[in-house]
Amino acid sequence: MSTYTTAGAQQQQQQQSSMAHDASSSTDERARFVEYSCGDCDAPVSLKRGEPIRCRSCGHRVLYKKRTHRMVQFEAR
Amino acid sequence: MRVPSQAELQERKRVQIGIETTSNAQSTDFPGHWPGENHEWNLDYIKENLNVKFHTSTPFDSEFSLIGIDTSVANAFRRILLAEIPTLAIETVFIYQNTSVMQDEVLAHRLGLIPLQASRRGLNWMKWYQKPTEEDEGSGAPSDYNCAILRLNVKCEWQEGGLQRAARGETDPDKLYVNHSIYARDLQWQAIGKQAEMFADGPIQAVNPDILIMKLRPGQEIELLMHAMKGIGQDHAKFSPVATASYRLLPTIDIMKPIIGADAKKFARCFPKGVIRLDSVTSEEASELDCKENEVKAVVANPMRDTVSRECLRHAEFKDKVKLGRVRDHFIFRIESTGQWESEDLFLESVKLLKVKCQRMRRGLDAMMN
Ligand SMILES: [Zn+2]
Repeated sequence: MSTYTTAGAQQQQQQQSSMAHDASSSTDERARFVEYSCGDCDAPVSLKRGEPIRCRSCGHRVLYKKRTHRMVQFEAR
Repeated sequence: MRVPSQAELQERKRVQIGIETTSNAQSTDFPGHWPGENHEWNLDYIKENLNVKFHTSTPFDSEFSLIGIDTSVANAFRRILLAEIPTLAIETVFIYQNTSVMQDEVLAHRLGLIPLQASRRGLNWMKWYQKPTEEDEGSGAPSDYNCAILRLNVKCEWQEGGLQRAARGETDPDKLYVNHSIYARDLQWQAIGKQAEMFADGPIQAVNPDILIMKLRPGQEIELLMHAMKGIGQDHAKFSPVATASYRLLPTIDIMKPIIGADAKKFARCFPKGVIRLDSVTSEEASELDCKENEVKAVVANPMRDTVSRECLRHAEFKDKVKLGRVRDHFIFRIESTGQWESEDLFLESVKLLKVKCQRMRRGLDAMMN
C-alpha cells in the first residue's frame, strides 16, 4: 500500500493516520469469523471454525464466501 | 529579383482536386524552388500574413481559421494539442471491496477515462508525479502537490418494501433499490495538505456528472480509493485534453462556365446545404449568358461548408464547368475540449509549448557549437 506524504511534517502525520485504513482496528474481533451469504435466502451468515455449514435463518447448506476486504491496487489504464 | 503576381501566388497554394486525383499538394514556398525568387523565412512576412479568424467559440468547442502558415507548423500545434498538454486524470485505483459484476481491472480502466475538472490555479500549481525508481529509495511518493485523492464508496440495498414490490412483478430499479447506479458525480474528492487552499475556487470533480460508471444490485458494494495525477496524452489517451483537435483545408469551388436553370438546381444538390446559392439572372447578364431573364444561376455562397465529396465531378454536364480545390495554407481548426481547459486556452497552450520546444532546440544547438 502506498503511503502519502506532504511537504509539512504536521500534515504528514495527519496524512498517514488518515491513509492507514480502519482495517486494523475492526479485524481483531471479527478475525475469527468468516462472512458468507446464503445460497438460498441471501442472508448474511458468519461462521467460526468447526461450526456446521448451514444458514441460520433457512437452514440451507450451500453458502457463498464473500470477497475479503483486502486492498488490490490497479493502474487505471 | 522576380516577384510573382498575386494571382500566381494564389494558384501556387491551391491544391487541385480531380475526380480521382489530388495534385499540387506540396508547398513550394521555400528557398531554391522558384528560380530568382526569394522565399527565405522572414518574421516580418509571417507577421503580415498570419491571420486568425474565429467561426464558433464556445468554452469547450471552438472552430477557427489559421491562415498563412505552413502545414508543418499547423500540424505541430495539432499534435501538441492531442499528446503534450498535461491534464489531471485518475491513475491508480486501490480497490478494497468490489462485489459487483464488473471486474476490478475493467472498473479501474473506466474510472481512468472520466474527465476531471478543477480550479485553474490548482491545476497549474500541481506538478508531475514521478514513479518510484529502484536506485532512489523512497522516491515516487505521492504528495499533495502531485496527487489528488478521490474516493468511491457505494452500497446497493433494497428500498423499503422493495422486495415485496419485486415479488409482485415490479422491475423498475428506481422503485426497488437504493444506489443501483454509480455516476461520475459520486466520486468524492478529499483535499490533502495545501490542496484545500489551492483548489478553493474549484474542487476536483467530474466534468460530466452524469457518466454512468456501473450498475449495482442489492448486496453489491464498491469501496475504493483513487489517486489522480497529471500526465500527457503521449503516455495514455485519458490524459489528452481534447476530445479531438483536427484541421481541414479550406475547400474552393470555382465555377468556370455559368451553370443555369435546371442544371443549377442539380449542381446545388451535389453539395451540402448552404454551399451553393441560386441567384436569378439579371437582364444585362441574360444577353451575355444567352439565357432568359429570371432564370436561376449557381453561385458559390460558402465553400467552407463543403465536404469535398466531389459529387459534382461525377456528372458529365459539370465536369468542365467547375474546378475543385483547397487552399494549402488555410487551416480550419476544430478543438473540442474534454472540459479541463477551455478550447481557446488549449490552442494558446499548444503555441506556448511549441515555443518552449524551439527554445530547448536552440539551447541544444548552442551547446553543440560551443
Ligand atoms: Zn438462508
